[in-house]
Amino acid sequence: MNHVYVYDGDYLSLLNTIFYLLKTNQKVENIKPENYSPTLFENIIHFNIPKQDHLLDQIIQSFGISVARAMYYVFLSEEEKKELLLYYFVYYALKYRKKIMYQRNLKCVREVLRISNYVLHESHKLKGFLRFQELQNHLLYAEMSPTNDILFLLSCHFSKRLKNEFWIIKDVKRKIISIYDKKKFVILSEREFKLSLEKENDQEKMIEDLWKTFYNTIGIQERKNDRCRMNFMPKKYWKYITEVRDEL
Amino acid sequence: MDLQEKLKILADSAKYDASCSSSGSNRKSKHGVGNTALSGICHSFASDGRCISLLKILFTNCCIFDCKYCLNRRSNSIKRAIFTPEEVCSITLNFYRRNYIEGLFLSSGILKSPDYTMELIIKTVSLLRHKYHFHGYIHAKAIPGSSQKLVKELGLLVDRLSANIELPTENELKRLAPNKTSQNVSSIMNYVNQNQSKKYVPAGQSTQMIIGATKESDLDIMNKSASLYRSFHLKRVFYSAYVPINKDSYLPSIICPPLTRENRLYQADWLLRFYHFQVKDLLDFKHPNFNTMIDPKADWALRHFDEFPKEISTCSYYDLLKIPGIGVKSAKRILTARKHFTIHFEDLKRMGVVLKRAKYFILCNGKYFINHKWFQKEWIEKNLVLEEKIEKEENNMEQLRLF
Repeated sequence: MNHVYVYDGDYLSLLNTIFYLLKTNQKVENIKPENYSPTLFENIIHFNIPKQDHLLDQIIQSFGISVARAMYYVFLSEEEKKELLLYYFVYYALKYRKKIMYQRNLKCVREVLRISNYVLHESHKLKGFLRFQELQNHLLYAEMSPTNDILFLLSCHFSKRLKNEFWIIKDVKRKIISIYDKKKFVILSEREFKLSLEKENDQEKMIEDLWKTFYNTIGIQERKNDRCRMNFMPKKYWKYITEVRDEL
Repeated sequence: MDLQEKLKILADSAKYDASCSSSGSNRKSKHGVGNTALSGICHSFASDGRCISLLKILFTNCCIFDCKYCLNRRSNSIKRAIFTPEEVCSITLNFYRRNYIEGLFLSSGILKSPDYTMELIIKTVSLLRHKYHFHGYIHAKAIPGSSQKLVKELGLLVDRLSANIELPTENELKRLAPNKTSQNVSSIMNYVNQNQSKKYVPAGQSTQMIIGATKESDLDIMNKSASLYRSFHLKRVFYSAYVPINKDSYLPSIICPPLTRENRLYQADWLLRFYHFQVKDLLDFKHPNFNTMIDPKADWALRHFDEFPKEISTCSYYDLLKIPGIGVKSAKRILTARKHFTIHFEDLKRMGVVLKRAKYFILCNGKYFINHKWFQKEWIEKNLVLEEKIEKEENNMEQLRLF
């Protein structure tokens, strides 16, 4: 029988669980979010421990801000055993403190670096690849379906860049949306907020066509290099990118 | 003429400019729209694999100059168009709000006179900044021959300003671009260099050279670049493989743009800026051109074979940088890692150091990656050439079709 520890699903609750497990010295085989469906041979253990809000500050203070960031990025990833990875990482981080990232010969350090970089890269790519369309009342609306859960990171970026606009970004894969009202953004699940949007619009079509014209003109025929384009702009994103959607 | 057609013509005329970077500026949005990202953001990639981050257009492709290599030269009979400042603003803002672009790249053919053209560019950019409160990235071209007052004015509005040097030597410039002088270009560069600050051209200046339209060697080109970096502190020199658009007795008759050569120049450019190499290390009068088969750093290493193999656990940062296949990031990683544990070949791989080329030139704790008797120049050279060939084939480079 495998023991699986479950947590609420949010980051703070995961940290709570990890620190509690380390403190009480329990044997850990797996950690999973609440909504996960266990197999026959798994024994689910759920603790009701009071949430300690100071954990985040504690991590920043003892491991440094860049380590704290990297850990959060790992949490945002879709890696199957990310919870267990963070558990091992915290175990070693408590030992090496701020020097933990130099311990590249430890597998969990390499993995945390690899995965956090992957999440950060994807969020950077989507900062470029996200496409808004304008709906009625100047509302900007974008859809995406990224591999990792980067909606929060993107919302931070666009709340600075498109400060004086109303916008909505929807993560189609996770069914969550981020709504911004010129002051701050909130992230809601689709169940909490039903979107009903009218998308067809002549003015919008004209601007999309203008953009497609620009896109198709700017490439130099004599230097055509599809492979290079694909390396930089992987096909998995094309569905939501206005100018290449039609090429799919 | 409708906007669609205008955009088509004026983007088509602007596409041969290589620069599209949007990095180096950290403009914050106060009121209005937009900011800039220090790292730059690529928004799309064109069919040729080049990044699109800026709306790259000419204000007009009408031009009183007759530069032989240019699509927009006076003597070409092509469709001409001209934007109004309001049109440029409207397209830029509409694209920016939808996150199509990071900002505007505005260049222009010379209309009436350099000063007149500069004034049009300034009018457009100032409209964007002051009327529409646009705080995104703007890269503008300074028109050679325009007055210093206008260069000053434009620099206060944009993030990056650039003037294209086009060709590495004065003689060739005179031959192919009779209306331009390198004096005009360098006086702009000099002015920008002396006044650059957080307020004035915050992202610095860049320039571009055309590769393969003239007979100059790689040595001439690299010497020119090095002197530009030295005297004007340019952020970038771009190299643009000559695309045969015009038929002219002054121009070489080639079918494909020299992409491999362009690639080699960029590699060497990086060696100058980040790897502490000098032009004289890479090229000399006996070897004025880069080896097309091997990248410049590996080529240098083979010519200085007695300095290798280098011991990873003891050699200095500068020596690490001289090892083919090891870049700035890898060198720094090795430096920090070796303080904490002894590095073996497997550790290098795990640290993300690419060993494909590096393995031939290094020792880890006195050990070579295979039996030390294989550490021979000819054998390594053969392998490097082979690997580069495979890489090229994978990338399906255009040149190979010619071979």
